[in-house]
Amino acid sequence: MNTVINKSSSLPNDELEFAYNVRRALDERLNFLPESTVNRLSEARKMAIARKKPESALYVMAARRRLAGAGGSNSRISNPFNDSISWLVRVGIAIPLIVLIIGAFGIYKYEEARRIDELAELDAAVLSDELPLSAFLDHGFDAFLNKHGE
Amino acid sequence: MATDKELSDFLEGVERRAFKQAIYAVRNEESALDIVQDAMIKLAEKYGDKPAEEIPLLFQRILQNTILDFFRREKVRSTWVSLFSNIISRKEGNEDFDILENFESEEGTEASESSADKVEREQMLTLLDAEIQKLPARQREAFLMRYWEDMDVAETANAMGCSEGSVKTHCSRATHALAKSLKALGIQL
Repeated sequence: MNTVINKSSSLPNDELEFAYNVRRALDERLNFLPESTVNRLSEARKMAIARKKPESALYVMAARRRLAGAGGSNSRISNPFNDSISWLVRVGIAIPLIVLIIGAFGIYKYEEARRIDELAELDAAVLSDELPLSAFLDHGFDAFLNKHGE
Repeated sequence: MATDKELSDFLEGVERRAFKQAIYAVRNEESALDIVQDAMIKLAEKYGDKPAEEIPLLFQRILQNTILDFFRREKVRSTWVSLFSNIISRKEGNEDFDILENFESEEGTEASESSADKVEREQMLTLLDAEIQKLPARQREAFLMRYWEDMDVAETANAMGCSEGSVKTHCSRATHALAKSLKALGIQL
């Protein structure tokens, strides 16, 4: 307990002296608190510490991971187990990403090849002038020919 | 950021004074203990990640706000209690049988605890306690924060939500009032 009253006070010395005496008496009075009260206060303090803002622990963990990523190799407190875990985590993220990119590229190539094949078939049919018989039996097709013949 | 140990050490150093501040205001030991516990938990839960040097001022603000909250709750409760007691008294015809007894017994235990020891010095300290309790609330808050919690005028004004001039006025009035009342009781500190 600090027993020096703040010196920035603009009070006269006798008032300051009186305040100091009151303060000393009040401090003395604290020693007469009942044991049950002191225990309750102690329990309350422990309860408060147990419920200290949990984000702070996450913040520390996040900060440690950031440091491990940025300068983990030259850190004196880095241990091999943590390094191997972070390496596995990185590989675990990289492999699915590579598989995804290769898969997307493969699908694109397959679709492109299929489209080219379809166009080639159509071109071949047009060039060889091969029309199926069913096309001539189709009344709709006759109507189409007549209309365009006019 | 305050570590667990820094926060624990701070609370250990301030908890008894906080309890006395609360008891001066609410005049009930159980309520004062609840207030200090609430203030400690609020500080740890909401401001546990603040730098250690900000903790004392934050705690004083939380403590004062928790005391104010207590009075607000008491006001609401007393409104409902008086409403229901009116209804019950109309039905049963016997009034203020339980509440007064309870309050008297609580006051009695507090008084008996403080007057258990007959040492003269302790009696004087008990009288001083009573005189501080008699001070107007704002004067008492300002006086205790300035001279017991060792906060400067600006910090006290911040915690009390008033101007620095008001803090100086409250402190000066509290000092004069205390000096006058202790002199009247023949107490020399």
